[in-house]
Amino acid sequence: MECVVQGIIETQHVEALQILLQGLCGVPKDRVRVHEFCLKSGPNLGVVPSEVRLLCDLAQPTPAWTVRHVGGAMRGAGAEQLSVLVRSVVESKVSSNALRFFYAVGYKLDHELLKIGFAFRFHRVVPITVTVTSANRMPKLHAVDDAVPLTPGIQLVEITAPAAGDNYNEVTAAVSSFCEYLVPLLHLSKPGVSTGIVPTAAAAASSLLSNSGGKAI
Amino acid sequence: MEVDGGAAPSQGQLAPPAAEAVAPPKVERLNPVVQQQLNLESVKTRALGLYKTISRILEDFEAFARSNTTPKWQDALGQFSMVSMELFNIVEDIKNVSKAFVVYPRNVNAENATILPVMLSSKLLPEMEAEDTTKREQLLFGISGLPVHMQIEKLKTRIDMIGAACETAEKVISDCRKAYGLGSRQGPTLVPTLDKVQAAKIQEQENLLRAAVNFGEGFKIPIDQRQLPTSLPSHLADVLSFGDGAQNLGDNAGAYGKNTSSFSSNQGVLQTPGGQLIGRSVPSPSNAVAFDNASTPPMAYANSPRSGTNIMNTPSPQQQVQQQQQQRQKIMQLPHQQQLLVQQQLRQSSAAGVLGQGVMSQLHDITGQTQQKLQQQQFQNRQLQTSHMPHNIAQNQINQGSQLRSHINQFSGSANSALFNAAQSSPNSQMITNMSASMQSQSLLPRMQQFGLTGGHTQRNHPSQMLNDQMFGMGPSNPANMIAMQQQQQQQQGGFGNIPTHTQNLQSGMVNLPNTTQNPNFPQQRQQNQS
Repeated sequence: MECVVQGIIETQHVEALQILLQGLCGVPKDRVRVHEFCLKSGPNLGVVPSEVRLLCDLAQPTPAWTVRHVGGAMRGAGAEQLSVLVRSVVESKVSSNALRFFYAVGYKLDHELLKIGFAFRFHRVVPITVTVTSANRMPKLHAVDDAVPLTPGIQLVEITAPAAGDNYNEVTAAVSSFCEYLVPLLHLSKPGVSTGIVPTAAAAASSLLSNSGGKAI
Repeated sequence: MEVDGGAAPSQGQLAPPAAEAVAPPKVERLNPVVQQQLNLESVKTRALGLYKTISRILEDFEAFARSNTTPKWQDALGQFSMVSMELFNIVEDIKNVSKAFVVYPRNVNAENATILPVMLSSKLLPEMEAEDTTKREQLLFGISGLPVHMQIEKLKTRIDMIGAACETAEKVISDCRKAYGLGSRQGPTLVPTLDKVQAAKIQEQENLLRAAVNFGEGFKIPIDQRQLPTSLPSHLADVLSFGDGAQNLGDNAGAYGKNTSSFSSNQGVLQTPGGQLIGRSVPSPSNAVAFDNASTPPMAYANSPRSGTNIMNTPSPQQQVQQQQQQRQKIMQLPHQQQLLVQQQLRQSSAAGVLGQGVMSQLHDITGQTQQKLQQQQFQNRQLQTSHMPHNIAQNQINQGSQLRSHINQFSGSANSALFNAAQSSPNSQMITNMSASMQSQSLLPRMQQFGLTGGHTQRNHPSQMLNDQMFGMGPSNPANMIAMQQQQQQQQGGFGNIPTHTQNLQSGMVNLPNTTQNPNFPQQRQQNQS
């Protein structure tokens, strides 16, 4: 299970967000360059199509593949009140021929996208991962080098933390409290709930950038 | 000087003042001084200007009301203050000369006949009068006994004191403003608001981005792009060698024990006899969840329609019978050779570890069982699919997967023999319940191994973790297993012989994955194990 929130930020403020996260997390950022394949199962695999995502991490010297299945979200009155989305997710590293395997089993490529950005992984009560990426689409199949951003002016910020059935409350609280720190720059909400941008983000961003004094990170 | 005629503009009203400066057709003329002071022309111009401003503002508000948007209150308040100041100035100017004039109503008709006396009277309204007297009393509280000029003196000193206090207060405020950098004396700084067009654009972009990342809209591959490009990026170059999604390799590797390195033969094997099975036997994480819900407090999926025991307790009897029959048939049909071969492989491949030995001992217990590699392969497929299917899979798949999984699970846990026996004999629904327990125990097992614990007992782990373990096992070792297991073409029973390999891979899988996000849960797990 994981707790996840998403938000958007204008591309011009991403650098300020990076500075803020650097200050909050205390760890250096990790580059993110992930080629994501979204595979949908064919009709031979069941009545209802299912979806599996294969993530190929291109930022590593050798590409690292991960398979990921996102399950249903927690529902109910309690879930409505949470400000984060708690959903089941299964993730594992796989070898590089996982894609071939899935094709063999009967999955078809539904869409692919390239996510480029950075991420901060740190520990604050629970391990939290903050990724700031721009979603890029590839005009030609698998043409990773020709990817263009889908929304040039806006990037996606995602905060996730793994959770279990018994501790998701504290994980939720930890993620929510971390989100409070980011309020000057962006609003975070459950995936699927749109938030808009923060109108005063420009002021916050400029103060962040000036305070740092152009310090190279 | 008395004057007759000029109607002064109505005072104290925000409605468009009807300022008509009618030159009285009289013999008398205004005192030129008064006339100059009154300056009717300018009053007229100003009044007209004020009228226009107010009507414009009213129009703006009507437009706001019609288009159902909220006006910018900052601007509205600013305009209002401007208008009221202008009116105040006009009224002040008129007041200076109002003593020279008398209001003489010209248009008396039915509608204003009743209100005119009230408007024209100079007597205060009763409540205003009462207020006035109380204020007077307050003011002259201590000094009403004195002669008038002394009262005046005292009042003057009071006024001076208040004035001085006000001045010092102003000074302090301005000093503080300077000290805190609050700037000159203005209203609250305007919150930067996005204008509507910009906000709409951003909203649109945001929706696009969110939909794309969460649901994949906007990324669909057009039909003409479905062919692989000739030059693949490096990470895909050795991965993809054939058409996207096309399963066009139907080769069939008949003999078992042959380790082919080509993956295509696996596909063929998968397709032909196993195809049907694959279609049906797709256990899903929802199964795991459902099972878990049967046993744990259904916190995670409180209102899921699939939660609880619904799925589990309504197996379709037809399919159950089918599967059981098929299973029994296969058991009969399996030649002994295959079992021996698998055992050999087991011995060769099992590395050190408690698990291997434990399984070996258990293997001897199951000599009567089938060990087709295809079964194992399919089972592993199913396990993989287990991890990746959504929550809504048909019941038949659950049944099949549960049976297979139950067998496999039992052989990966040293303490699961009881479950295994139970599964052998019990009807399907019970098997499913047992299977849930055994599934969980299987997930426990690798962790137990890692931490050196043995004797797993069934506990209620979270299904995602449990499946993750399976995934761990599946991941790095998949190709090896696939290749090893592609040989058999028979259906049904899970490959017990390969279980040690499977679990061994689990072990190795665990070792190889130190960085997964599941790690933080391990300590929790251990405590659970020990509890």
